[in-house]
Amino acid sequence: MKNQTPKKFSKEEIDLVEMGKFYFISGKYDEAIEEFEKVVKINPKNADAYFNMGIVKEAKNDSSGAKKMYEKTLEIMPDHKTAKKHIDKLMGL
Amino acid sequence: MEQIAVIGLGTFGISVAKELSKKGIQVLAIDTNEQKIQEISSSVTQAVVADSTEEKTMRELGLADFGAVVVAIGDNREASILTTLILKEIGVKNIVVKGLDDLHAKVLQKIGADKIVFPERDMGEKLSEMLVSPNIIEKIVLSPEYNMAEVVAPQSFIDKTIKEIDVRAKYKLHIIGIKRKAPYIKDDGETDFKEELLIAPSASEILQDGDALILIGTYADIDKVKKL
Repeated sequence: MKNQTPKKFSKEEIDLVEMGKFYFISGKYDEAIEEFEKVVKINPKNADAYFNMGIVKEAKNDSSGAKKMYEKTLEIMPDHKTAKKHIDKLMGL
Repeated sequence: MEQIAVIGLGTFGISVAKELSKKGIQVLAIDTNEQKIQEISSSVTQAVVADSTEEKTMRELGLADFGAVVVAIGDNREASILTTLILKEIGVKNIVVKGLDDLHAKVLQKIGADKIVFPERDMGEKLSEMLVSPNIIEKIVLSPEYNMAEVVAPQSFIDKTIKEIDVRAKYKLHIIGIKRKAPYIKDDGETDFKEELLIAPSASEILQDGDALILIGTYADIDKVKKL
């Protein structure tokens, strides 16, 4: 999500999201999801964490799990274009 | 054994129901037309005359326990939407619906369809792709017994080399390619991944989480790996 994190979220959330992203690009998908789950426990309205969980789950071929996460992202942030794009792709649209 | 229900027995619904049966899936075919039900009854596990827009009937059929339900109603937009909604209400886990047009698809998406398919459009795309850039992986029929399939790498294969998992000896399968997701972070900080295709991977190649294996082998052997 474009430059939203620093403005809206606590330092702890930002750090955890960054750690999750680090695990993701290292191919450690399960560890990445653990970090993003910690974020949504702290702040269930953190769309960034849900979106990232969607990406990780999609990378793990868990399409239904990914779709749920993108849907949660859109519940919080209805104009999240990338989440919408990924949902459309998963739906075959 | 997995159970799948097919609602609506037009050309598409019949084709889906029969192909699933051939693959050993237990198929329940549903239509309001008694003649269609009689025609398909010998090709599927069970065929029933029922109105899919009646919630009570759908509940009684126990569709919530099915692996997937395919809504193949092709000529009645209202019935297709209502059926999808009822299936969602009664807790069907995987609802695949035949889309009639973009507006219909949008409504289906809103009410919770898991997958929308456009058989004619998809076939048109596949045909044009085949003509312009022959990607023959999905189209080769090796024999009635042998198949080429893309399978998600089971968790027990992850972080192991192809030599270590030894599918050739254990399952009589050959890995001819790996589809791999390459994660990256975009300039704006957003995460994403690219798909890469590794052709003829070496025995020392380490399998990663999210890999899809392109396998050649018998249907039965491929099925064993799918179930791991």
